[in-house]
Amino acid sequence: MLRYVAKRMVLLIGIVFVISVGSFYLIHLLPGNPATVILGFGATPEAKAALYRQLGLAHPIYLQYFTWISNVVRGNLGTSFISQTSVASTIRSALPIDLEIILLSQILAFATAIPAAMRSAKRPDGPIDRLLGAGSFTLLSIPPFIIIVLMVLFISIKLGVPHTGPSSYVSFGTDPLGNLESLSLPSITLAIGSFVVYYRILRSDLISTLQEEFITMARSKGLSQRRIMWSHAFRPSSVALLGAAGVNIGGLLAAGFVVQYLLAIPGLGYTLITAINMSDFLLVQGIVLTVSVGVVVINFIFDFIINMVDPRISRE
Amino acid sequence: MSSFNHPSDNLEHSILEEYSIVERPEKKKKLGVLFWICVAWIGLNVIGAIFAAVLPLQNPLYENFSAINLGPSLHHLFGTDDLGRDIFARVTYGARVSIAVGTGAMVIGFGLGAPLGMLAAHRRGRFDAILTTVMYVFLAFPAIIATIAVLSFWTPRSLLKIILVIGLASVPLVYRVIRTATLNVATKDYIIAAKVQGATDRRILMKELLPNIAPVGISFLLIGVATVVTLEGALAFLGLSVNPPTPSWGNMINEARTVLASNPWLVLFPSAALCLFLLCLNFIGDRLRSHFDVTEVKL
Amino acid sequence: MSPDKLLVVKDLSTTFATAGGPLPAVGGVSFDLGQNETIGIVGESGSGKTVLSRTIMGLQPRTNVTVSGSAQIDGFEVVGASENEKRKIWGTEVAMIFQDPMTSLNPVMRIGKQIDESLRVRLGMSKADAKARAIELLELVGIPSPAERYSAFPGQLSGGMRQRVVIAIALACSPKLLMADEPTTGLDVTIQAQILNLLDELKERLKMSVILVTHDLGVVATRTSRIIVMYAGRIVETGSTRDVFYHHRMPYTRALLESSPKVSNHSHTRLVTIPGRPPNLLKLSDGCSFAPRCKFATDKCHLVRPELEPSVEPGHSFACWNPLPVNGEEPTS
Repeated sequence: MLRYVAKRMVLLIGIVFVISVGSFYLIHLLPGNPATVILGFGATPEAKAALYRQLGLAHPIYLQYFTWISNVVRGNLGTSFISQTSVASTIRSALPIDLEIILLSQILAFATAIPAAMRSAKRPDGPIDRLLGAGSFTLLSIPPFIIIVLMVLFISIKLGVPHTGPSSYVSFGTDPLGNLESLSLPSITLAIGSFVVYYRILRSDLISTLQEEFITMARSKGLSQRRIMWSHAFRPSSVALLGAAGVNIGGLLAAGFVVQYLLAIPGLGYTLITAINMSDFLLVQGIVLTVSVGVVVINFIFDFIINMVDPRISRE
Repeated sequence: MSSFNHPSDNLEHSILEEYSIVERPEKKKKLGVLFWICVAWIGLNVIGAIFAAVLPLQNPLYENFSAINLGPSLHHLFGTDDLGRDIFARVTYGARVSIAVGTGAMVIGFGLGAPLGMLAAHRRGRFDAILTTVMYVFLAFPAIIATIAVLSFWTPRSLLKIILVIGLASVPLVYRVIRTATLNVATKDYIIAAKVQGATDRRILMKELLPNIAPVGISFLLIGVATVVTLEGALAFLGLSVNPPTPSWGNMINEARTVLASNPWLVLFPSAALCLFLLCLNFIGDRLRSHFDVTEVKL
Repeated sequence: MSPDKLLVVKDLSTTFATAGGPLPAVGGVSFDLGQNETIGIVGESGSGKTVLSRTIMGLQPRTNVTVSGSAQIDGFEVVGASENEKRKIWGTEVAMIFQDPMTSLNPVMRIGKQIDESLRVRLGMSKADAKARAIELLELVGIPSPAERYSAFPGQLSGGMRQRVVIAIALACSPKLLMADEPTTGLDVTIQAQILNLLDELKERLKMSVILVTHDLGVVATRTSRIIVMYAGRIVETGSTRDVFYHHRMPYTRALLESSPKVSNHSHTRLVTIPGRPPNLLKLSDGCSFAPRCKFATDKCHLVRPELEPSVEPGHSFACWNPLPVNGEEPTS
């Protein structure tokens, strides 16, 4: 078990390393001199020279990388020349919002998908199953941005309430209820997509688990249906669910971006897109790095959890 | 020696397994009417997109300021937008972008990813190990972010660039899916038997492996197209799709946001077009998958 | 009400509704079983023995299956009972062990817990008591270091060990009847004897009746008092083990006996097989189901299905129009 974790850690570090290289190199991929790129064409020669020194651009590339990575590890992602604030602090204030949205949406998604799937698996092809199946399939085909647009349309037409902007976001510390309300739209939207995935996967896995002989054996022990479903069927099936969750959540970070941008909620997504629009490359680089590493770490954590639930995997 | 119950057989199957020699009547999984309706709809979209220029449509770029934000009418089947352009024509032309991006990106993704995946799964050894590690590293990198980043910096944007970027970004995923599917088949005994018989790699690939992974591949392809089309929509919302005034479904929906209350038609029609297209694609892909998957439990 | 027979099966039939029509997996089976008795149900693949075993237990699938007739376990009528009612006897009155111990154990649950479950849920034992009893049970079935193995996962045990655990689970609530469906088929030959001996020992100790369902005559030869031979869903011969082995009348029984290799055969003895294939249950003829493959089939055999008729020895009956002659000799081997 320990060996398994160690092996995965090594892999994790390797991937993070490659990502860091990629993020670092992003700036150098752009046409033109990195200094010009970062500062814009109107930069003064002094500013350029200062930047040169700061980024060590005169040095060979691997030395630059080294300087950069040692800064990064210390938490210094540079200072944006556009906003004059440290990239790290911008990210630090934006990240919790993303995390909260993800958390809320997943709570919603699991809380609805698990009972729904259990119910459907008990009576496959029954009326509830068919309804949920058709419904989830339809929802699957509606992209999140359309859901948002339609929701906003509905809300503004029916309720006449103007939709959110960055000023309407309230942090949890200030006003918990307001905070939840301001994040409700993106959370619900992301929850819908996650629900569909979790419901389908869990249902399918439950149904095939229920055909297994140990379920018949459990039946023959005289255990109640409820016990069989939750104690015996759920655990092996949850492996697939966790796998899907890992992939899904990893993707949610990125998928939430569009949603955030649409609702002008100041999470990483919104920040990234505005950064791109304003050509704030250092910020872009910082966000790309953070998000990529974040996704990889999340996947790693999920692998670990899966292994705890189903020890068969680590024994391979 | 009595029959062994495979864990994934349903109970009825496992009992009937005892009658394995009995001719079981063929329970053919019919594709169903709905399936063909979806195929027809996709076909309609494709034909509409390809032949848009010769169809009796209004000019999608023609701005008629005397006919702004009209609702659906005989003259303008879907109404007009805030620049007086005919929405029906724009939706039809918009299909071009979505379909082009969807198919183009998938062609690239599959064209590169699939052969590599099959080859790696078949050959194994060093080749497989190196290639797979590389691909998995790329996979770890969230593709959407890379796509956003690249597309936003690589100006000026064009349909070709979009197709290229999305296509390349999808290669690792295609690679992984095809490789896994091939591995499932390649380890089966009949492949080893073919190898022992001296069949060349090429022959094994074409005759044995390909037909077996084709079902998985095709349904993944369709789902991939759906995903890419969705991605194009999302990019449009970020202003990273084709430049206006070229209509694309994503563009149209995005532009409609500002006039949401005053002209809901501007949102509804392209949204409906997009969603229906995706729905049909997903449905076809799903049906095909369950039709070809003989081991799947009857649900 | 305490009937003297533990299990009474009367005219039990199980039919599956398939796309090709009704499939009569079990047709008109009747027999009974007393306390402390062990009988064997023998037949090839497709004979209906597994379906029979599950139907008697009440574990047949819920959809597309019709069961008619009666099966009473200690007075409780299984046929037609609701799931809730059946649950009352499952585990405590009657238990089942299955063929493949790898698939009949929950792979992600520790074996101790799988035994505990029955004890706590059905018998209401406390956690500590249940654990103690579980370890006792593990020891009873011959698992070494039971206290350590208690927290093992099924995948960490060998095939024979797993089957022992399955037996422990089945016996946890001291059922009166144990249904063993091919309990040793999936195991190594060397382990088979161990498990069967274990079952013998346990049934003596716990005063249990056992139904051994198998295709392997070697399994039932010395461990059962009576044998039921099944073919195409029906009983074709039944009687005491001795009678069925030495005084059988139905040609199928002979064919079955002849086709099992014996240690006493010379080397290079040709394996005898029964020509033909088991019948398609969807298209059963009106006559004897075995007729197409029978050496002694007459015209009548093809046209009319024989009913069970008694033979010379008490309790011995067979279903055949052209039976083998009554044989008074017993081979000396």
